[in-house]
Amino acid sequence: MAESILGLAVIIIMLAIALGIYRLVKGPTVVDRVIALDLLTLVSIALIALIAHATSRFIYIDVALVYGLLSFLSVLAVARYLEKGL
Amino acid sequence: MMTLLTLVLCIGILISALLAAYLERRVAAVVSAGLVGLFASVTYVILSAPDVAMTEAAIGSGITTVIFLFALSKTKQQPGKKADE
Repeated sequence: MAESILGLAVIIIMLAIALGIYRLVKGPTVVDRVIALDLLTLVSIALIALIAHATSRFIYIDVALVYGLLSFLSVLAVARYLEKGL
Repeated sequence: MMTLLTLVLCIGILISALLAAYLERRVAAVVSAGLVGLFASVTYVILSAPDVAMTEAAIGSGITTVIFLFALSKTKQQPGKKADE
Protein backbone atom coordinates (compact mmCIF):
# COMPACT_ATOMS: atom_id res chain seq x y z
CA MET A 1 0.00 0.00 0.00
CA ALA A 2 2.66 2.47 1.07
CA GLU A 3 4.86 1.50 -1.87
CA SER A 4 2.12 2.16 -4.40
CA ILE A 5 1.34 5.54 -2.82
CA LEU A 6 5.04 6.49 -3.02
CA GLY A 7 5.18 5.39 -6.64
CA LEU A 8 2.10 7.46 -7.45
CA ALA A 9 3.67 10.47 -5.74
CA VAL A 10 6.86 10.06 -7.78
CA ILE A 11 4.79 9.89 -10.99
CA ILE A 12 2.89 13.06 -10.03
CA ILE A 13 6.17 14.86 -9.24
CA MET A 14 7.68 13.82 -12.59
CA LEU A 15 4.55 15.16 -14.33
CA ALA A 16 4.94 18.46 -12.45
CA ILE A 17 8.61 18.67 -13.49
CA ALA A 18 7.62 18.08 -17.12
CA LEU A 19 4.97 20.80 -16.97
CA GLY A 20 7.43 23.23 -15.37
CA ILE A 21 10.03 22.53 -18.05
CA TYR A 22 7.35 23.07 -20.71
CA ARG A 23 6.53 26.49 -19.28
CA LEU A 24 10.25 27.28 -19.04
CA VAL A 25 10.82 26.44 -22.71
CA LYS A 26 7.60 27.93 -24.03
CA GLY A 27 7.17 30.97 -21.79
CA PRO A 28 7.26 34.14 -23.84
CA THR A 29 8.22 36.58 -21.08
CA VAL A 30 10.82 36.53 -18.34
CA VAL A 31 8.11 36.46 -15.66
CA ASP A 32 6.83 33.10 -16.98
CA ARG A 33 10.31 31.64 -16.63
CA VAL A 34 10.71 33.01 -13.11
CA ILE A 35 7.39 31.42 -12.14
CA ALA A 36 8.64 28.15 -13.68
CA LEU A 37 11.82 28.43 -11.56
CA ASP A 38 9.75 28.93 -8.42
CA LEU A 39 7.47 25.99 -9.28
CA LEU A 40 10.40 23.68 -10.00
CA THR A 41 12.07 24.69 -6.71
CA LEU A 42 8.93 23.78 -4.75
CA VAL A 43 8.57 20.49 -6.61
CA SER A 44 12.24 19.71 -5.92
CA ILE A 45 11.74 20.29 -2.18
CA ALA A 46 8.86 17.80 -2.24
CA LEU A 47 10.97 15.35 -4.25
CA ILE A 48 13.91 15.54 -1.82
CA ALA A 49 11.57 14.94 1.13
CA LEU A 50 10.06 11.98 -0.72
CA ILE A 51 13.50 10.49 -1.41
CA ALA A 52 14.41 10.95 2.27
CA HIS A 53 11.30 9.01 3.27
CA ALA A 54 11.75 6.29 0.66
CA THR A 55 15.40 5.60 1.48
CA SER A 56 14.96 6.17 5.28
CA ARG A 57 17.91 8.56 5.40
CA PHE A 58 16.63 11.59 7.20
CA ILE A 59 19.83 13.59 6.73
CA TYR A 60 18.38 14.40 3.29
CA ILE A 61 15.76 16.56 4.96
CA ASP A 62 18.53 19.08 5.68
CA VAL A 63 19.01 19.63 1.93
CA ALA A 64 15.29 20.36 1.61
CA LEU A 65 15.60 22.77 4.56
CA VAL A 66 18.44 24.66 2.87
CA TYR A 67 16.36 24.86 -0.30
CA GLY A 68 13.37 26.15 1.58
CA LEU A 69 15.47 28.85 3.21
CA LEU A 70 17.21 29.92 0.00
CA SER A 71 14.57 29.43 -2.68
CA PHE A 72 12.96 32.83 -2.22
CA LEU A 73 16.32 34.59 -2.66
CA SER A 74 16.77 34.14 -6.41
CA VAL A 75 13.10 34.91 -7.18
CA LEU A 76 13.36 38.04 -5.04
CA ALA A 77 16.56 39.10 -6.82
CA VAL A 78 14.99 38.68 -10.27
CA ALA A 79 11.90 40.62 -9.16
CA ARG A 80 14.02 43.47 -7.84
CA TYR A 81 16.10 43.48 -11.03
CA LEU A 82 13.01 43.66 -13.26
CA GLU A 83 11.80 46.66 -11.28
CA LYS A 84 15.20 48.38 -11.65
CA GLY A 85 15.84 48.21 -7.93
CA LEU A 86 18.84 45.91 -7.46
CA MET B 1 11.31 4.07 -10.77
CA MET B 2 14.50 5.76 -9.54
CA THR B 3 16.12 5.24 -12.94
CA LEU B 4 13.20 6.96 -14.67
CA LEU B 5 13.36 9.81 -12.15
CA THR B 6 17.09 10.28 -12.71
CA LEU B 7 16.47 10.28 -16.47
CA VAL B 8 13.82 13.02 -16.13
CA LEU B 9 16.18 15.11 -13.99
CA CYS B 10 19.08 14.71 -16.43
CA ILE B 11 16.82 15.73 -19.34
CA GLY B 12 15.90 18.77 -17.24
CA ILE B 13 19.60 19.62 -16.77
CA LEU B 14 20.16 19.31 -20.53
CA ILE B 15 17.16 21.47 -21.50
CA SER B 16 18.06 24.14 -18.93
CA ALA B 17 21.67 24.30 -20.11
CA LEU B 18 20.57 24.59 -23.75
CA LEU B 19 18.15 27.38 -22.84
CA ALA B 20 20.85 29.19 -20.87
CA ALA B 21 23.08 29.06 -23.94
CA TYR B 22 20.51 30.01 -26.59
CA LEU B 23 18.07 32.46 -24.98
CA GLU B 24 18.26 36.05 -26.19
CA ARG B 25 17.17 37.79 -23.00
CA ARG B 26 19.93 37.85 -20.42
CA VAL B 27 17.67 37.63 -17.37
CA ALA B 28 15.96 34.51 -18.76
CA ALA B 29 19.39 32.95 -19.40
CA VAL B 30 20.41 33.63 -15.79
CA VAL B 31 17.19 31.99 -14.54
CA SER B 32 17.88 28.94 -16.72
CA ALA B 33 21.43 28.73 -15.41
CA GLY B 34 20.01 28.67 -11.88
CA LEU B 35 17.79 25.76 -12.86
CA VAL B 36 20.83 23.71 -13.89
CA GLY B 37 22.07 23.94 -10.30
CA LEU B 38 18.62 23.02 -8.99
CA PHE B 39 18.32 19.80 -11.01
CA ALA B 40 21.97 18.90 -10.36
CA SER B 41 21.37 19.22 -6.63
CA VAL B 42 18.41 16.79 -6.69
CA THR B 43 20.53 14.40 -8.75
CA TYR B 44 23.25 14.57 -6.07
CA VAL B 45 20.67 13.62 -3.45
CA ILE B 46 19.66 10.59 -5.53
CA LEU B 47 23.36 9.68 -5.83
CA SER B 48 23.62 9.68 -1.98
CA ALA B 49 25.71 12.84 -1.59
CA PRO B 50 23.67 15.18 0.63
CA ASP B 51 26.59 17.46 1.55
CA VAL B 52 27.41 18.14 -2.10
CA ALA B 53 23.72 18.73 -2.74
CA MET B 54 23.53 21.23 0.11
CA THR B 55 26.53 23.18 -1.17
CA GLU B 56 25.13 23.16 -4.70
CA ALA B 57 21.76 24.39 -3.40
CA ALA B 58 23.32 27.24 -1.45
CA ILE B 59 25.93 28.41 -3.95
CA GLY B 60 25.04 27.11 -7.39
CA SER B 61 21.35 27.83 -7.32
CA GLY B 62 20.98 30.63 -4.77
CA ILE B 63 23.96 32.93 -4.62
CA THR B 64 25.07 32.66 -8.27
CA THR B 65 21.76 34.03 -9.58
CA VAL B 66 21.94 37.00 -7.23
CA ILE B 67 25.57 37.74 -8.15
CA PHE B 68 24.84 37.48 -11.90
CA LEU B 69 21.88 39.85 -11.62
CA PHE B 70 23.90 42.27 -9.49
CA ALA B 71 26.64 42.28 -12.15
CA LEU B 72 24.04 42.77 -14.91
CA SER B 73 22.60 45.78 -13.15
CA LYS B 74 26.09 47.28 -12.79
CA THR B 75 27.05 46.95 -16.47
CA LYS B 76 26.00 49.41 -19.13
CA GLN B 77 23.97 48.32 -22.13
CA GLN B 78 25.38 48.53 -25.63
CA PRO B 79 24.45 51.74 -27.47
CA GLY B 80 22.67 50.13 -30.44
CA LYS B 81 20.58 47.63 -28.49
CA LYS B 82 17.17 47.94 -26.94
CA ALA B 83 16.95 48.13 -23.18
CA ASP B 84 16.82 44.73 -21.50
CA GLU B 85 14.08 45.15 -18.94
